[in-house]
Amino acid sequence: MKILCDRNALQEAVTVVSSVVPVKTTKPILQNLLVRADTEGITLFATDLEMAARVQLDAVKVSKKGSVLLPARETAALLRELSDPTVTLESSDQRCRIESGGGSFVLLGESPEEYPEESQNKSGKRIEIPAGRMLRMIQETIFAAAREETRYAINGVLLDCAGGCLRLVATDGRRLAISYENIDSKVEFKVVVPLRALNTMVRALPEDGKEALQLEVGDKQIVFKIGSTQLQSQLLETRFPDYEGVLPKSADTTVEVQKAVLESALRRAAILAPNDMRMVRFEAGDNQLRLTAESTARGRADVAVDAVIKGAGGGINFNPDYILEALRVCKLDDVRLDMSDDSMPAKFTLGESFTYVVMPISGA
Amino acid sequence: MSAEPRTILHADMDAFYAAIEQRDRPELRGKPVIVGGDGPRQVVSTASYEAREFGVHSAMPGVRAKQLCPHGIFVTPRMEVYAEASAQVRAVFDRFTDLVEPLSLDEAFLDVTGSRRLFGDGPTIARAIKDEVRRATQLCVSVGVATSKYVAKVASDLRKPDALVVVPPGEERAFLRPLPVSRLWGVGAVTQQQLERAGLRTIGDVQRRSERELRQAFGDSLGPHLYVLGNGLDPRAVEPSREARSIGHEMTFAADLVDAGEVRDTLLQLSQMVGRRLRREGVRGTVVRLKLRHPDFTTLSRQRKVPPTADDLELHRVACELLASCWPGRPGVRLLGVTAAGLVGIDAPVQGALFSAPPKKRDQLLAAMDRIRDRHGEDAVRHGVERHRTTPWGPQRGSGEPG
Repeated sequence: MKILCDRNALQEAVTVVSSVVPVKTTKPILQNLLVRADTEGITLFATDLEMAARVQLDAVKVSKKGSVLLPARETAALLRELSDPTVTLESSDQRCRIESGGGSFVLLGESPEEYPEESQNKSGKRIEIPAGRMLRMIQETIFAAAREETRYAINGVLLDCAGGCLRLVATDGRRLAISYENIDSKVEFKVVVPLRALNTMVRALPEDGKEALQLEVGDKQIVFKIGSTQLQSQLLETRFPDYEGVLPKSADTTVEVQKAVLESALRRAAILAPNDMRMVRFEAGDNQLRLTAESTARGRADVAVDAVIKGAGGGINFNPDYILEALRVCKLDDVRLDMSDDSMPAKFTLGESFTYVVMPISGA
Repeated sequence: MSAEPRTILHADMDAFYAAIEQRDRPELRGKPVIVGGDGPRQVVSTASYEAREFGVHSAMPGVRAKQLCPHGIFVTPRMEVYAEASAQVRAVFDRFTDLVEPLSLDEAFLDVTGSRRLFGDGPTIARAIKDEVRRATQLCVSVGVATSKYVAKVASDLRKPDALVVVPPGEERAFLRPLPVSRLWGVGAVTQQQLERAGLRTIGDVQRRSERELRQAFGDSLGPHLYVLGNGLDPRAVEPSREARSIGHEMTFAADLVDAGEVRDTLLQLSQMVGRRLRREGVRGTVVRLKLRHPDFTTLSRQRKVPPTADDLELHRVACELLASCWPGRPGVRLLGVTAAGLVGIDAPVQGALFSAPPKKRDQLLAAMDRIRDRHGEDAVRHGVERHRTTPWGPQRGSGEPG
């Protein structure tokens, strides 16, 4: 194999593909990435057997077809450090020579035949969505997914597509985030995508990307395609809880408050929330939202902010970290809280299509 | 540790629950009071000293207690009242030292080494504590004063009720010498027989053996243990940070369990016993611990932090997950235990859950099941997941048992 290509383009492609390369593995061959050159350009491919990433580059001059397996970490580091606009890769016998701007490097790879095959995805259900939208939806939900060992350690996010709407839903059993987008399709599916795959997508997707992201959902796997890049992931076989059943339909009290004001007030109050039971009281009344926290060991916080209060008023306790994590990804100027008593989930409206449901702390 | 001998107190309330009932209901004074039910599956929590004369003791089946003491007065436990009295007693302890290690609602270790310059020597502090406990609660506490936890505990128990037994530094061995080996911690009926076969009837007999002899005769675990305790050398510190208390039950099986379904069913039974006591005492656990012993006596312990719970099925679910993490299905299981630790009060705040039944409904259901069991026995009502009951030698009561 011998190719000449743009260093920047190659570096970007290597970075994307490397994101699925495992840091630690019992199969050392998985710490490589595969480069294949043919008449149409080159393809970079890597997999950890659960996920796979592939990028095609066509702005490449292929002098000699073939494939080579390169150590992913070293290749990425090397491309970052090179300064020439172009780079030449030439391989023979599991060695690859990289030439660029007066430097010459030899990387020792392994036999490309040993590397796992790229599994061919059978055609699944397809939808399209603007890449930037998908990025927002992932960001608006992924933080609420359970990571620790809890009852709902789902380790994934639900993609629920029905009735011309794609919903992303994540929960850890105590709070639940939903973000949705209308799509022009009648396709229906309901699958749970691993957090790792979505985290990789967050790194790979462009901010404000208008480009279309294509989702291809099969029985066991999902493929995300954008431009010449494609990410494939196994689906989780977890049963996702019935999220629609927990969305509150009515509320005793409605609070509208500026997001920035709430966020900073809550951050201050949370400083004195006890460590063993993180808890801040939200009290609505007299066009004020009052936040109080008390730690028997460290002291007490009392912060009041202006708010529009409708309904009965009253107070409930929340884990402040749950609220702050959601406010961090909220882009609205004003947020709305619908709450009842401490036995009922409360609902935060944090975007036009971003809803967050949190179970209060009871018995305090 | 300083070279100066420590001053450790073991304070143990006398017939705690029964004494509270006699305090609050004068008509019960001087009568054999048995706290607990006399139903077929119920057990005695505490018996008053009058009832103990008939041979009634805690953890005895209620039916047996009724046979031994037909005119005994059975009283349903009032855990909130006992917990309140326990807190009053604890407040007294806290005035004398910050090193208080509670073992249960009715007993605690106190390290008063550093308090002697302030309040006087061990016996003086012990007398002051007895007086103040009586003033605060009108209840009697027995206190043992010694240089180690073990000797202090033996001392407090020796002349109950209303005892004050002091073992001065240097006299530990002489104090222990005449006592039977069953007074050694960890020596139950089986080990006692083993010791007696080797000619060890009293702790003095143990003292006459070297550590090496004991190790050769009883192994690397039991041997040194006997040596240390027998010679009154228990070096363990009073640990105030120790989890205040835990509630646990374990079962030893006559025939080792090998069937995973059987093991899980047994965990359910244990979880129910633990859950029931949690609810009865008005507390929830924040840590679930699984104990598992193989036929070769290797013992595993696994635990996990959980949101506060007193729910049988939640305890069972976590216990099963812990089981899955440490037991691949073999070898067999000789002993199983489930413990709830990190106990918090029932009114401690709880983070709500989105998908389970509302906590209040769940609590009502469990309370209803408890009432049915109180009236009709443990088998009267079961959780849907329960398949059958295993029949071990009989459940062994776990830690945290009030005496």
